[in-house]
Amino acid sequence: MSDFSYYSGIPSFYMMIGIAMIAILIFLLGMYLNMQKWGGGSASHFLKIFLKSINHEKLGHHKRQSLISTIILDILLQRRILRRSPFRWVMHMLIFVGWIGMFILSMVFAVFEVLHEIGIGQFELVDIRSSLDFGNEVLGYMLLIGLFIAIVRRLAISDVVKRTQMFDWVLVLGTLIITITGFMAEGFRPDAITGAWTFLGSDVALAETFALFHVAISLLFCIAYIPFSKYMHMLAAPMVILVNGGGE
Amino acid sequence: MADEEKPRPVIPKGEPYIKTDVISPTFMMQYDACTRCGECDKWCPVLDAKDQDRKYSPMNKISRFREFMGQSYGLKAKLFGPKKLDEDDIQDFSDAFFHCSTCGVCASVCPAGINTVDMYEATRQQLVMRDNGPYGKTVMFPKLIGEYRNPYMKDQKQRLDWIPDDVEIAEEADVAYFAGCTAGFNQQVLGVATARVLNHLNVPFIYLGEEETCCSSAIIRTGQPHKGDVPYINAKHNVEALEARGVKKVMFACAGCYRVATIDWPKQLGRKPNFEVVHVADLLADLIQQGKIEWKKSFDNKIITYHDPCHLGRHCGVYETPRVVLDNLPGLKFVEMDRIKELQRCCGAGGGVKAGISDLALDIASERIRDAQAINADILSSCCPFCRRNIGDGRDNVYDQAGSTNFDLRDNPENAMQVEDMIVLVAELMGLSTKIKAQEDEDKAAGVEAEGPKHLIDL
Repeated sequence: MSDFSYYSGIPSFYMMIGIAMIAILIFLLGMYLNMQKWGGGSASHFLKIFLKSINHEKLGHHKRQSLISTIILDILLQRRILRRSPFRWVMHMLIFVGWIGMFILSMVFAVFEVLHEIGIGQFELVDIRSSLDFGNEVLGYMLLIGLFIAIVRRLAISDVVKRTQMFDWVLVLGTLIITITGFMAEGFRPDAITGAWTFLGSDVALAETFALFHVAISLLFCIAYIPFSKYMHMLAAPMVILVNGGGE
Repeated sequence: MADEEKPRPVIPKGEPYIKTDVISPTFMMQYDACTRCGECDKWCPVLDAKDQDRKYSPMNKISRFREFMGQSYGLKAKLFGPKKLDEDDIQDFSDAFFHCSTCGVCASVCPAGINTVDMYEATRQQLVMRDNGPYGKTVMFPKLIGEYRNPYMKDQKQRLDWIPDDVEIAEEADVAYFAGCTAGFNQQVLGVATARVLNHLNVPFIYLGEEETCCSSAIIRTGQPHKGDVPYINAKHNVEALEARGVKKVMFACAGCYRVATIDWPKQLGRKPNFEVVHVADLLADLIQQGKIEWKKSFDNKIITYHDPCHLGRHCGVYETPRVVLDNLPGLKFVEMDRIKELQRCCGAGGGVKAGISDLALDIASERIRDAQAINADILSSCCPFCRRNIGDGRDNVYDQAGSTNFDLRDNPENAMQVEDMIVLVAELMGLSTKIKAQEDEDKAAGVEAEGPKHLIDL
């Protein structure tokens, strides 16, 4: 661990890859089942109709806007939420950008880890990790603040309290646990630049345990669990927006 | 609909309790896109009228159906077979599901852009196919419309009865007037007013008359299009009849028929008709803006407001032209209510609610009247016979509730809010008679001289 070979701090690179593969397989199985459910028993039928619907002319006044406008304005900037509630938009954007951003940075580093492992490219993992540190830090705090707002809303605003179910709590609390363990894994690990141990001390065993726990539940909860939970809206909502042509 | 005597469906072992064959794959996906943000609940007129009873929450309806789908087609169902669903639970869900006017405000506010109206209609059809719906007497729609070609059990020959002697209907013209069943049989003042206005404006038009059949909106909205294929048969008949007459435009004064012609006819037939679908408000607004309409009468400084019919506004996007018309009527100050355009509060008549759950329709309409009262409106106008009828009932209900304590109305009944269709107001202010043929015949027989509405002043 002293040369922080692994971004994740997991003693075995292959263990992480193994968990990732399992998570991806479960995710794909879940998506297949969902598409089969949507397609009346046939995932390919769903895909065919879905792709056709994206270009289908809409009747009535909700004219289909350009695909690029839909992706930018409705999917990435989520203007439909902004129009209804700026407060909820801030909360959702913090979670959305934090989650997606950290997912992308994790994928980027995972690619470098793989390249490093198989000996392609001349780079030090520690340098790559350092270059991603700031982004991870900012995105991590965005996610944490967004989740904090979400939890407060679900506990304090009466009409939100009334309609909250376990289905909603699983998503919020699961993401919160991942975020907190991420911060803790970071805290137990020596600083990438200075090599000094950070705020939680200098326990290699704990660092490894937390890193393994964090990565394992991140992969299982944030990837494998998507098709079986409220997380599904992250994929289904943009797909619905594409089918319905976007617009306010 | 809950009927304890009803025989339970026999579901073969291993088969899901609810099939999805008429629900399009993209609608099925929309059930999984709900983020449960609850925005729909904030705007739903049914939930308001039902005192926030969660059973009627649109968000909960989506969640319940998604659960049914998960239990029937999810991972566990794949591994161990579909879960046995409780028939009472399905029926309870279906009853709640039909407590919806399909107004579509939930779609307007949904952050995920879920097309709730079409999704609900398809799901309703699936529920009807397993005998869990529709609700109440709306079950009669396919039989009535299939047999009589209109929901009022009238002879098709009577479609011509509303036409007064002075109205000229052309043999050939670029424009057709599609009156619809309600203006043709039930609220004939709307047909008479539209025809006289078109005549007055020198817009020659043809009318299919006996050939016109119901647009079948009520059947589609209540999830029964498969019963006898009535909407398809009627769509094909109407479109082909209109095309055979060579018209370029088909004009509607009924929001329900307009919606069907704009959205449902192309869906039913798989092609767009060879004519343009226009609402009479579009024509009037255009002529007003060109300064081509001359008013003969005026109101005496009254406040008018406009209720967007769901089928015209949210479903088809016609928001501005009725406002242009009403804003230009003489002697009226146009004031907007709370909740307008895409966020409008439904009158409560649509989706089979007026026919199937009339008390719910009345409660929702009463809320709309309160919106109008909040801005001290003297006239609440709309462009839909069903809104006109239901909001009128809502007004009477609100006044009944005020009862004997409302001294102003008791002593001055003329101060009651007027609920009237835009086309009737336009006709009256043009100085045209809005008396229906039967009334005119009665007046003639009694030797009564026709006179204009007393609440208007000459210009």
